[in-house]
Amino acid sequence: MISQLLDIVTSAAILYAIAVGLLLVFGVLKIINFAHGGLMTLGGYAALVTTQFGLNPWLAIPAAALVGAVVGMVIERVVVRPLYVRPLDAILATWGLGIIIGQLITIGFGRGVQFVQSPLSGTLEILGEGYSQYRLVLVLIAAALGLALSLLLHGTRLGLDTRAVIMNEDLARGLGINSTLVRFITFAIGSGLAAVAGALITPLSSVDPNMGVPWLVNAFMLVLVSGASLVSLLVACLVLGGAQVLISSLVSPVLGGITIAVLAAIILRVRPAGFARG
Amino acid sequence: MAEAAGAQGAAITRRGVPIPLLVLLAAIIAVAAGPYVLDTYSVNVLVRSLFYAAVALTVDLLWGYLGILTFGQSAFFGIGAYAVGLISTHVGFTPGLAALSLLAGIAASMLVAGIVGWLAFFYGASALYASVISLVLPIVVVQLLFAGGNFTGSSSGLSGFDSFDDVSVETWFWIAGAFLIVVAGCAWRFVASDAGRVLIAVRENEQRCQYLGLDTPRLKIIAFVATAAICAAAGYGFACYTTVVSPEQAGFVFGTELVIWVALGGRGTILGPVLGAVLIDYESAQLSGDYPFVWQLIIGSVFVAVIVLFPRGLLPLIGDALRYIGPKVRPAVPPELVELPMHVVAGTTGPALAIHGVAKHFGSLKVLDGIDVSAAAGELVSLVGPNGAGKTTLIRCIADGSERSAGRVAINGHEIGGMSPDRCVRLGVGRKFQMANVFDTLTVAECLQMARIRHGFPSVLRRASRIGLPRPALHVIRTTGLDHALMTPARLLSHGMKQALELAMVLALEPSVLLLDEPTAGLTKAERTLIGGILVDLAATERLCIVLVEHDLDFVREISSRVIVLHQGRIVLDGSVDDVVNSDLVKQVYAGGGHGVGAAA
Amino acid sequence: MTDAPMVDAPMVDALAIRDMSAGYGEAIVLRNLSLRVPRTDIVAVLGKNGMGKSTLLKSIMGYLPKATGAIALDGHDVTQVPPHRMARRGVSYIAQEKALFQDLTVEENIRLALARGSDRAAAMATVERCFPFLLKRLRQQAGTLSGGEQKMLLVARALAVRARLLLIDEITEGLQPSVVTTLAQVIRDERARFGTTILLIEQNIGFALEVADRYAVLDRGEIVDGGPTAGATARVAGYLSV
Repeated sequence: MISQLLDIVTSAAILYAIAVGLLLVFGVLKIINFAHGGLMTLGGYAALVTTQFGLNPWLAIPAAALVGAVVGMVIERVVVRPLYVRPLDAILATWGLGIIIGQLITIGFGRGVQFVQSPLSGTLEILGEGYSQYRLVLVLIAAALGLALSLLLHGTRLGLDTRAVIMNEDLARGLGINSTLVRFITFAIGSGLAAVAGALITPLSSVDPNMGVPWLVNAFMLVLVSGASLVSLLVACLVLGGAQVLISSLVSPVLGGITIAVLAAIILRVRPAGFARG
Repeated sequence: MAEAAGAQGAAITRRGVPIPLLVLLAAIIAVAAGPYVLDTYSVNVLVRSLFYAAVALTVDLLWGYLGILTFGQSAFFGIGAYAVGLISTHVGFTPGLAALSLLAGIAASMLVAGIVGWLAFFYGASALYASVISLVLPIVVVQLLFAGGNFTGSSSGLSGFDSFDDVSVETWFWIAGAFLIVVAGCAWRFVASDAGRVLIAVRENEQRCQYLGLDTPRLKIIAFVATAAICAAAGYGFACYTTVVSPEQAGFVFGTELVIWVALGGRGTILGPVLGAVLIDYESAQLSGDYPFVWQLIIGSVFVAVIVLFPRGLLPLIGDALRYIGPKVRPAVPPELVELPMHVVAGTTGPALAIHGVAKHFGSLKVLDGIDVSAAAGELVSLVGPNGAGKTTLIRCIADGSERSAGRVAINGHEIGGMSPDRCVRLGVGRKFQMANVFDTLTVAECLQMARIRHGFPSVLRRASRIGLPRPALHVIRTTGLDHALMTPARLLSHGMKQALELAMVLALEPSVLLLDEPTAGLTKAERTLIGGILVDLAATERLCIVLVEHDLDFVREISSRVIVLHQGRIVLDGSVDDVVNSDLVKQVYAGGGHGVGAAA
Repeated sequence: MTDAPMVDAPMVDALAIRDMSAGYGEAIVLRNLSLRVPRTDIVAVLGKNGMGKSTLLKSIMGYLPKATGAIALDGHDVTQVPPHRMARRGVSYIAQEKALFQDLTVEENIRLALARGSDRAAAMATVERCFPFLLKRLRQQAGTLSGGEQKMLLVARALAVRARLLLIDEITEGLQPSVVTTLAQVIRDERARFGTTILLIEQNIGFALEVADRYAVLDRGEIVDGGPTAGATARVAGYLSV
């Protein structure tokens, strides 16, 4: 019972960490970044390299953030910027970028599965049951990411500019805000977050050149049902992630695998705004 | 991409060189000769490529022509494949069962497509949402296959089941080739027909289609279901050939590969996606043995470059180059315009348009409040008022049952309830938008045909040589000179001509209530006089009930039989032109910001 | 086009539009329009709805592509300059609709218009002088202000950034007479204080003629009349009557 509850919370936290970068990009740029999976993979390999160099495994997170952000900047400038007016084409182009990233990693690291040292092993006793310490710490990290992003959006001038661009880009431009620059920075941050998420999940499983792809569709569905709100994303992760955990353990793991996608599709059919207000 | 589709229509009419026939002939020769000139390995690979190409073609129909970006066609391919795999494995393989499994696969995929179509296409659904649903479909199908245990063979699928064992690889090549040629030939014929134009019209401007009385969600579901049947047949053939079925065949990765082939070949060209699928899949098989990752990297890079730089794909680029050096395409013969006998409306009693207590709020903001209007046939009612008075909102509430927050609207005595625009059109509403709302890539003649679609769905085989139009529509076309521009793409028309075309399209619906939102915006003085004369004539001789939003008060004064002044969502005056001209209240509304109007109303 | 001043500063108009045609896609709304706004002047452009008045301001601000013609700001060519650079060059634009971020607070709405590193205290002092009530409502969402208060916030925001050129689109629409009077007073006072050049678009003749030094009448995309506002009431009213 307790472990199931912890499973729900930690799964929601993982989903949140993965989806939050996608949400930021979708909210500001109004496009779906299908390279998000590829960027997660990049983060996973950044973690691998970090630990292979014998560095502290925790350093994998900033390393992944840096790699993701830099690659994101290049992608935005070269590929995404001409496609803001063609959002469906942006989906395709970013999917193609995902393929490119996956193949480059395959060429560089081989297609095999590799394991990354976990920064934290062992379990923690909670009400008599042992539970993975790393998964518990992930909850804290996901919360920290959410809070940091919230603080960035609501506590800084860049965040204010960004929110202004989300709400009314024309008006924002008329007040002197360079919306092209805001989009560029947003995409870079979103890409950095994708890579961080990739680094965070590697100790739980392993890295391989397509590790990000299975997460992509779930993350994407969570973002769509959340609108562009960090709070509704949290709700969506808890509700849909919780349903996934329950169906996986009570019914079948295979059906659990499609729970998020199917529920999200139905929610959007019935209520196009999803979990967002309005 | 739209240009490619248009150019293809023209290519058909090019005399001396009937390009489609030439391509067809070349394809038949290639398929017939293939097994004699290629080695067995290549033939073997190409059977797969040919089946895949037929599936890619359905992606082209949905995405290139109808505008639905779909990642889910692989699911239908997989369903067709698994139908025969399952039946052969668990029941057996006899000629009867072989036919049954083909039908079962097609029926199952059509059923799934119907359900998914219902989920993905509804009034007001976004294009992104439909793509998302198409993405979820293969993921769900694959997981269900995984969940099937021994029955579906789980992740390894089914293999070695009985099939047409005595059929040689060469014969399979001919079967797959013939299947592709038939599918592509039918698709080609279809997209060049009048019905094919409908797909382009929906892609181009779905809203206008709905306001021409077309139930676009239903059309999309039908198209989705039809293409699912083709995919299932291809999957059936492929499974019989390989006697292997696996979840990957239904998967999302295959679904995206299909989209990549179509995008590279050239969406909306039929031939491009077929060539794209055959060439890339064949080359993948050849090269992926030696350079597996580099090959995928090249495909991915070319794909991104094509999407960013040449969104129409590669075939149209080649086509442009050929057209540049080749002979100029001769323009097609324009269809003849024919006057239709007037549809006599059986003596309806009561007002043509009746509005009671209509209100519209956005949250606490009231855009319209307590609107009561009744207008009879033959009246020309102008709605005037400052910006933000709610004029366009009122027009919307008449033409779309889902717009208003409260109140009732009846057209010729029929309540519109919560009807979508296409159903309101069937009650007799015709709406002309403020900005000219036509089909930019279609010709004037095709735009007019589109406007007659609710009176009879066009042929799926040929182009009509004549277009029947009611007298008022013909009158607009002839007085504005549009009849001399029938083969001109609408986007090349001047702004005024576009406005006239849209008016003619709306009149071709034979509406009894005509809604016009600023029909003279951006027109020259001469054009305005012309339109004004036409409207007065329509009200007087055709007994149309015309409701018109207008800013140009001189124009209103010249043509109206009645004027309604809206201010801040309420009717402040409803009377004759003289009443309005002499009203101090109206002067206040316009010149003084309208304070005190609430009290006066 | 160069960015260098064309003429010595004192002689140069704050805003000079020459032969500009602009519109939306193929619909040309303004035809070969020329207009000059001398420095520190207030010019009112009058005209009925649908005659291209809002299009004029959007074109100046850089939102719409120009088919022909040129725009100069203090003698510098700004024909192709995008809106955010226009704003940074000291042009403030008050659109007729959706000119506030309804979900942001009053304070955030003002802060967004201030460039990084600009003097916030001075800006807030301007707000306080013009509309003191706003200081008590800084944390309130802009969308919860009344219609008149929202318009005052718009004017306060534009004045707080010390605009060189202020473009105002029908600020008086739907307002109480008392609010219109207040706005007229504030706009004239601040112009006197800072020498702000103002181009405003109006249907409210009373307000326009009270505030402006000069007027121009826009009819179907062209300027058809213009001159000093003094004594022009009867003449101008003729253009706007039903």
